[in-house]
Amino acid sequence: MDDLLADFIAETREMLEASGGELVAWEADPADRARLDTIFRFVHTVKGNCGFFDFPRLAGLSHAAEDALADCRAGRRDPDQQLVSAVLAVIDRIALMIDAIEAGEAFPEGGDDSLIAALDVSHETVSGAGLAGVKEGSNPPLHAPAETLLAANDEAAAPYRRTETATAQRTIRLPVELLDRVMSGVSDMVLARNDLAHRLRQAGNQPTIDGPFERLTTILSDVRDAITRMRMQRIETLFGALPRLVRDLSAELGKQVMVDLDGGDVELDREMIETIRDPLTHIIRNAIDHGIEAPSARLASGKREIGLLAIAARQSGNTISIVISDDGRGLDEERIAAKAIATGLITAAERAVASRDKILNLIFEPGFSTAETVSNVSGRGVGLDVVRQNLEKVGGSIKVSSQPGEGTLFSLQIPLTLSIIAGLTVEVGGHRFAIPQSYVEEIVQGTARALEFTRMGETALVTFRGNRVPCLMLGEVLGVASCEIAASEPTLVMLRLASGDLFALAVEGIHNHGDLVVKPLAPAVMRTGLYAGSTLLDDGQPVLLLDVANIAAQANLVSDTRVRALGTLDEETATTSDMPRAMLFTDFAGRRSAVRLELVQRIETAPAAAIDRSAARPRVVIDGLILPLIGLPEAPLAQSRVRLLRLSDGACELLYAVREVEDAVELTEALHPVPEDPLAEAVTLIGGQPVTLIDAHELFARHGEPPIAAARPRCMLPPGEWARTILAPLVASAGYDIVSEDDADNAAIGIVFDDIFEVAEALGRTLPGRVIRLRDQPDAPEGCETIYRYDREGLLAALAAASRAGIRTGEAA
Amino acid sequence: MTGDLLVIARIAGRRCALAALDVKSVIEIGTVTPIPRAPAWIAGITALRSQALTVIDCRRALGLGGVLAADEWATDHRAVVVAEGGHSYALMVDSIEDITTAAGEAGQVPGGFGAEWSRVATGMIETLAGPALMLDLAALLAGPEVARHEIEAGI
Repeated sequence: MDDLLADFIAETREMLEASGGELVAWEADPADRARLDTIFRFVHTVKGNCGFFDFPRLAGLSHAAEDALADCRAGRRDPDQQLVSAVLAVIDRIALMIDAIEAGEAFPEGGDDSLIAALDVSHETVSGAGLAGVKEGSNPPLHAPAETLLAANDEAAAPYRRTETATAQRTIRLPVELLDRVMSGVSDMVLARNDLAHRLRQAGNQPTIDGPFERLTTILSDVRDAITRMRMQRIETLFGALPRLVRDLSAELGKQVMVDLDGGDVELDREMIETIRDPLTHIIRNAIDHGIEAPSARLASGKREIGLLAIAARQSGNTISIVISDDGRGLDEERIAAKAIATGLITAAERAVASRDKILNLIFEPGFSTAETVSNVSGRGVGLDVVRQNLEKVGGSIKVSSQPGEGTLFSLQIPLTLSIIAGLTVEVGGHRFAIPQSYVEEIVQGTARALEFTRMGETALVTFRGNRVPCLMLGEVLGVASCEIAASEPTLVMLRLASGDLFALAVEGIHNHGDLVVKPLAPAVMRTGLYAGSTLLDDGQPVLLLDVANIAAQANLVSDTRVRALGTLDEETATTSDMPRAMLFTDFAGRRSAVRLELVQRIETAPAAAIDRSAARPRVVIDGLILPLIGLPEAPLAQSRVRLLRLSDGACELLYAVREVEDAVELTEALHPVPEDPLAEAVTLIGGQPVTLIDAHELFARHGEPPIAAARPRCMLPPGEWARTILAPLVASAGYDIVSEDDADNAAIGIVFDDIFEVAEALGRTLPGRVIRLRDQPDAPEGCETIYRYDREGLLAALAAASRAGIRTGEAA
Repeated sequence: MTGDLLVIARIAGRRCALAALDVKSVIEIGTVTPIPRAPAWIAGITALRSQALTVIDCRRALGLGGVLAADEWATDHRAVVVAEGGHSYALMVDSIEDITTAAGEAGQVPGGFGAEWSRVATGMIETLAGPALMLDLAALLAGPEVARHEIEAGI
């Protein structure tokens, strides 16, 4: 009996969730028979199920609602606002009663009659108004034999029902623990398989075993996918409740809001759906309370009376993005800034230089809340900072953008699942650790000098794309002794936090990446604040997953002040500030100059050797494009690397060589024209010093030309995983385009394994014009022109030689 | 308590008893991956099939690490796997002796067991294989810091 009751409660709950949205949709379009049928079915099922149990009040309520809805279905009355509200009230009461039944409590007496009466009142008003057109049933009994009504109505409803059942998914209910057990069982199987694979490799090729083993592998990965999907749930389950929420809120606040849901079929981890439920609700509350204006105000500003709230979910790779946008009044930058200054989040000076975007995103800072009067809708003591915290806890992020008077757009990024993430394994001091891939922006390898690695006090800084980025030594963070060689030539993992802050993590090596099944850690280990979980590598070794956000927070890298202090030297073009902005630099003649920031695409660093001065105008190849270069001194360059501003007018690009890039600045002072210098647009004061502003028009008129793609030498690789994953990056970094055999022309060089080469030669197959032969053993046989496949220097030298030879033959031809 | 099955293990040379119901299994301990910056009594994590176990050095978890030289007693190559609060732990002990039956309730002895032991012990228990100190798993896994904090808070 208990089981039966639990099923009844669960089933009723499920239908309650589904019908909330249906009711609102039905209210919007009373003629929608399909919606009406769904709601009718709900109350009918509740009433029917009550028969098994002794719930007279539940039965009475559902019966009354069923009667009223049956009248609508039979066309005896029109569903109106009052009826919908009355039916909603009844459904709410049913939900409360179900809660009480589950908790085993007695539900407070009374109140049912007034709800039933509300159904009836609206009924009488309607039937009274439509009396002339109604032949019979103008006085239907309150407790009419519903069965007779049903029997009559079922036939009429039949065609509508059929379409409904087609879309319904068949589901069964399972405890989550069972799913978890199956999932860990499959994980065990994968590990056993990996162990077996390892042993098979040691034993050598055994065709009789290899075949079935391959099949096992395929099946296992299929099963693993399916199990993973079992944890997934359509985001519909979350969306289902939103129309009702929006309806109730807008009614309460006297606003009219239409909700538009999109992407309900996107699937998300069950636990993740629970995690984002509150943040989503909070943002919707905010949007209706503060965003969307009252109908009169909307009409006054020339908008539609009904506000639009659009919620869309999209999956892209391993993340789900949910966008909540409204067409309300938008965020008030000035008020946010004033509030932020008042609460000490930023200083007035910082306000002056901060972009609109930066100011708007201050609403996620702890201790920020703009609403002066705390309404009972949004002001619940939980700010957007908590929303952001909760999202960051699961590796997500939130951003806001807004146009004054046009609306606000919140965009949430959340990882697909909590338990399986893409990760990168790094090594330091002989220990291995995993980093969630979602944080990794880029991996940079190079000498300390190339990265301009410096120590400012205790803090290490590196230069990445023209920005000084704080750098954490993973070895120091973890207190693990790291070896000397690695310190002089570190591998940097550039990590982008959800808040947008970028920092570098220096490690000794990168191992591999792949999907990691993350398991929780014991509380005593979690207290270190460095780890987010543990995972097992393919060889069964446990590794710890680093809690990147927390490590950064412990190093004080997340505070906004630091980002502002460092500023960004480039790509600040997204600013909406009215002040024109310029990039300040010192050119090779020692003059301080500036160029309008909109023109600056990027700051490049090129080795001096890469500059080709043979033609009348110097050129540099960057990213495979030949670009004209100006601003170089006559004398040969003293330094080995030169900083270049990459300028673009949209079509043409050119590079401007500079001695030093200083900063992005606002042009606040008056611009004085300089007619005597054609290349100068004006002279202005920046920080009290005169600065020449470059005339972009003249610059592009003189030097601009569309970039020409430099013909990169092409290279064919041997087939196989090794070539694709290990050899290809090396070849590409040596300046080659990787081509497939079909695309290769005569000029392409080929890399082949020596055994293949010998076979091809023996069979007289055609080979590319130039070939680099690789061998498997470090030691070369006598008189053999092969290169050991891990001989990096040898390979690079051979590739460089082949590339030079290619250019010569190309020129000769 | 009488009649309950107990696992008898030796920690820092003392006979200790764990309720057999708490003990999931006894494993050969494989490679232990150390956890930098974790408390000293956490030796690291190790893998049991697809599960990661937190390896606890019981002597240090008692707070005896400083008093006793680490190699005064050898550690068993086997570890006791227990579950507590939804997490699984592998307890590193001197040796795992026996499984036996309790022959009475856990009781106190005059003078107590000493500060470290009193924190983790529910009392002395008579078993069919002789007396042993009954351990409170949750207290043991809370680590020695808790005791120190309590003392500090008391002052």
